[in-house]
Amino acid sequence: MKKLKTLLPSLREKKRYISFQIISEKGEEFTYSDLESAVWNTTLDFLGEYGVSRTSVWLLKDCWNQKTQKGILRCNHKSVQEVIASLGLIDRLGDNRITFKVLKISGTIKSIKKDL
Amino acid sequence: MNFYDFHIHSEFSEGESSVEDIAKRAKLLGFKGICIVEYFKNLNRMKNLRKTILEISKKIGIDIFIGFEAKTLVDLKKLVGMRKEYDVLLVSGHDLNLNRKAVQTKEVDVLTHPEFNRKDSGLNHVMARLAAKNHVAIEINFREILQSSKNTRSHILHNMTENVRLCKKFKAPVMISSGASSHWQLKDPKILISMGCLLGLELNEAKGALSDIPEGIIKMIKEREGKDWIRPGVKIVE
Repeated sequence: MKKLKTLLPSLREKKRYISFQIISEKGEEFTYSDLESAVWNTTLDFLGEYGVSRTSVWLLKDCWNQKTQKGILRCNHKSVQEVIASLGLIDRLGDNRITFKVLKISGTIKSIKKDL
Repeated sequence: MNFYDFHIHSEFSEGESSVEDIAKRAKLLGFKGICIVEYFKNLNRMKNLRKTILEISKKIGIDIFIGFEAKTLVDLKKLVGMRKEYDVLLVSGHDLNLNRKAVQTKEVDVLTHPEFNRKDSGLNHVMARLAAKNHVAIEINFREILQSSKNTRSHILHNMTENVRLCKKFKAPVMISSGASSHWQLKDPKILISMGCLLGLELNEAKGALSDIPEGIIKMIKEREGKDWIRPGVKIVE
């Protein structure tokens, strides 16, 4: 399939990266897929299909660190509050109780990766 | 910026977690201080609670305050009578008469979840004006949102938005708290701020709801601890 020509920087959507850490009950190590399904289910429940489409939310797979339980979420600059509020509504992963700690919000992935 | 969570229940009242677990988690999440909330029926446990709190506060390095939550008009009257013995007076909102009495009483610091178990928002323009006059903060309780789902959650969010709108219009203080009954229900300050923004607060107002409003209450607590204080607006001047 032919690839689309890359948009000019001024025409691209402005992104925000949110780094977070999961604090779990007995120090369980959650996988990317556990977290991905929880994030999608909760955001869809809370914001609805239309709401989620407006946030451009995405959990970055290569930035998920299973050992430290730290990861990065990407969304557009207008919906940072919606995405962070949705994270607060995830209080369980499977049978385990968890808490999200938001570490940093940044406009570039380079600067947010420094703190991970 | 210092953030405070002023509505947490420990195992002393209806909560599941110990004060130590709560304090450790609050410190980890970046809170400067918390308020452990009790009910009037547990008044006899206050000495034990204060002793525990003092020890834990020093050990973990976080400010811990004692609050009492009045559930009825009778409780409220009794708690107002002994206002100097504890730090924060909260009123558990749900009944219209109680909500009205809470915003009329200068000794009250916070009216918690005025929309709890109600079809309406539990607050009108008269009450919002009184809350502003008497500096009674109207609480946004995160646990209410967390523990509800689907249509109930949407009703609660709507009522909270309505309350925030009224509070902004009449300049009544708004406070955001987790309302946690376990240390697992404590939320990151950034999450509480974001929820405040979704409910109609500006970003700086939402930050103030976690920082400036509780700091105002702490200032009052310190004033009350002084020997000259008699009641709100009355103190001995030499």
